[in-house]
Amino acid sequence: MRAGISRGENIKMAMKKLTYPYESCWSNADELLLYLETGTWRTSRPKVDKEKCNYCGLCALYCPPQCMIDKGDHFEPNLEFCKGCGICARECPRKAITMVREE
Amino acid sequence: MVEKVKRLPRVFDYFVEKDQFAGGNTFCAGCPAELTLRTIPKVMGKDIVMLSCPCCAAPVMHGQNLGAWHKLAYYACVMTGVASSASGISRYYRKIGRDVTVVCFTGDGDASDVGFQPLSGAAERNEHIVYICYDNEGYMNTGNQRSSSTPIYAATSTTPVGKNQKGKPTVAKYLPLIMALHPVSYVATATLSHMEDYAKKLLKAKEKSKQGFAYIHVFAPCVIGFRINSDAAIQVCRMAVRTNYFPLWEMEDGVFRFTQTVGDPRPVQEYLSLCGKFSHLKEPEIAEVQKMVDERYSMLKALVEATAQKETASKT
Amino acid sequence: MVKQMRKHETRVITGNACAAYAVRLCRPDVVALYPITPQSEVVEQLTRFKADGLLDAEMIEVEGENSAMNAVTAACVAGGRVFTATASYGLAFMYDAMMQTAGFRAPVVMVNVNREIPGIHAVSAGQQDLISVRDIGWLQIIVEDDQEIIDAIIQAYRLAEDYEIQLPVMINYDGYYLSFSAEAVKIPMIEDVDEYLSILKKQPQRLKLEPGKSMGAGSHGLLQTYTELRYKHMAAMERAKAKFDAIDKEYGDFFGRYYGGQIEEYRTDDAEIILVTSGSATGTAKTVVDAVRENGQKVGLVKIRMYRPFPRERLTKVLQDRKAIGVLDRSVGFGWNCGPMYQEIRALTPEIGKVPLMSFIDGLANMDITIPNIERMIRDIQAAAEGKPYQETTWVSLEE
Repeated sequence: MRAGISRGENIKMAMKKLTYPYESCWSNADELLLYLETGTWRTSRPKVDKEKCNYCGLCALYCPPQCMIDKGDHFEPNLEFCKGCGICARECPRKAITMVREE
Repeated sequence: MVEKVKRLPRVFDYFVEKDQFAGGNTFCAGCPAELTLRTIPKVMGKDIVMLSCPCCAAPVMHGQNLGAWHKLAYYACVMTGVASSASGISRYYRKIGRDVTVVCFTGDGDASDVGFQPLSGAAERNEHIVYICYDNEGYMNTGNQRSSSTPIYAATSTTPVGKNQKGKPTVAKYLPLIMALHPVSYVATATLSHMEDYAKKLLKAKEKSKQGFAYIHVFAPCVIGFRINSDAAIQVCRMAVRTNYFPLWEMEDGVFRFTQTVGDPRPVQEYLSLCGKFSHLKEPEIAEVQKMVDERYSMLKALVEATAQKETASKT
Repeated sequence: MVKQMRKHETRVITGNACAAYAVRLCRPDVVALYPITPQSEVVEQLTRFKADGLLDAEMIEVEGENSAMNAVTAACVAGGRVFTATASYGLAFMYDAMMQTAGFRAPVVMVNVNREIPGIHAVSAGQQDLISVRDIGWLQIIVEDDQEIIDAIIQAYRLAEDYEIQLPVMINYDGYYLSFSAEAVKIPMIEDVDEYLSILKKQPQRLKLEPGKSMGAGSHGLLQTYTELRYKHMAAMERAKAKFDAIDKEYGDFFGRYYGGQIEEYRTDDAEIILVTSGSATGTAKTVVDAVRENGQKVGLVKIRMYRPFPRERLTKVLQDRKAIGVLDRSVGFGWNCGPMYQEIRALTPEIGKVPLMSFIDGLANMDITIPNIERMIRDIQAAAEGKPYQETTWVSLEE
């Protein structure tokens, strides 16, 4: 008479190899906030002419990744994340931003 | 030397919270949906619960294993279950007496097609949720397939231009008006060229969601799908409003009103010529689109006029 | 020492009403309701409770079962206790949502009133619907009578929300036979159910959505994480077996009714042949087993109560050293030309040894599983036990 195989032992042993902390698929941004280096995507970067800039803020408003940094009297792009889309240059009413080819 | 205006425009006053999303993410360069999404917690605060489903926003909204691309409380749904899941969450918080804004964020493919039934159901029940649909006129995440929000004659990968076909053969569903005919608290259309208008509507929606269902339809033209330059999205939005292709209006408790009056609308040709997906359109098709735009606008105008009395009546 | 029996209220109510009464006792926070024959009375009764102030839950009258399951899953992940009910077509419609529930390990409790699935349109009883969702990771319990509906639902909340389990549970009972027939049942008092379920409050609390906290439910599971999560899910299902046995015993000590845990072994101690059943047919089968035993035949009956996870160990133990075994299925196992429960019991052959194993398909679409039918099954099993040739699969109602 052979009893059925108990799976309990196998489960206990294998538990050691588990690294993900939760029982189901949760993400935790406090533990791990992901980001991509989207600065490497662009083929041209925005160049702000500080003299022409009148701090209207439209570039910061319309920038899709919201990477225009407020410098107090003008804005500058955060080159770590700027994807080089060119919206800031297009929308600037003073034409203070030009898109310059990356080397 | 240009005089420096040290004060930012009024729209910046609406931003009560800093950007809750990570700096670099998977949205395409120049994507208006990214701008739509990032603005939401900036205006509504970071204590909202967001829901989304597979769509262009999903790679950013859904986590990846333990990691996440944003700091908001989030619930990932299947495409058929966004508005229904939001109903469940919002009802639970209501039961335990917690005031939480539940915000759904999906594309037009989900809102007008596969997720329309739950959306309509939640709207009929006037659930206390905000549903924001970013309309890029197709299933863009999977490669520009047509949805029922894709306009007539648009070239997509499932409605291509060829010998026997000139793009999509049918007119799009006008989803914002369909939602406005549900017994909801608030419906609005918005777009990214008119950011202050959008921010106001987000705030209004958050407030109205305490009493009932709030729906915002955001026109967010896909750079790839519309075949425009990466810097052109805002310009396309602006032209869509100026030609009355995408009028900006809101409906609040049964009263319709335009939030942006366009005194002298430009011919729709000026909008169509900006978008590569309409480049095959000839005179007859353009005239047809113009007629459709005009008729839609007159219908909205009639609704505004018809319900204006209601507003006056309630004010006296 | 004689244990003091807890106070109960006796009522003569239908199976559907039993489900509603039991759910009310468990104090759910959110209930999603959508009507479908043969379940509509469950949700109707719950709304009557709400209207009369006897149930303090948010009732969401959804526009479809898919929304029902999505709504309760999300409410559950937000931290609530939930309930919904459905049957065949509704179950099919909530399929993607149910997979979401299982994957999210949300302890949703649902009643599925068994009815034949779409395809051959039928508004009649059959277990095909519960069979059609075998492989999505839900726990499934099948009950025999109206009293068991009440007890199984209360046990389901205890099982689903247990910190070591955290899995959704489906309570299955036959449409028409149990849903619409009334029996005298004992309904526990709500304070006693509160006490019985209070152990859950003492356990660690499961993860839930929290506005303001950066937790996101439903993260993409990539590569190793996906595999780990599947593994954890399966491990939890394994744990559910012993847990269910323990919960049933605990329930028996508390309320006075014990059902045997994962399976009920009815007169199996000295049985030479065994009939395996599930659902309401078990009642008829027990009557026949008693009658046949009067004539000296050594027959035993095993009732499968917990279908998922499959009660492999307990079945292996009880099915050993028998001369022949028959399995009664109220459904079909497509692709295997036999009943699905037979198919799963056949997988135990390496452990129980090669004995005549027979599949009986009966009771589809409200065809009664009658006493003569069961007598016939037992005769066939007995013949097989005696070495006579037998057919593997018998479609009982199609035979002469």
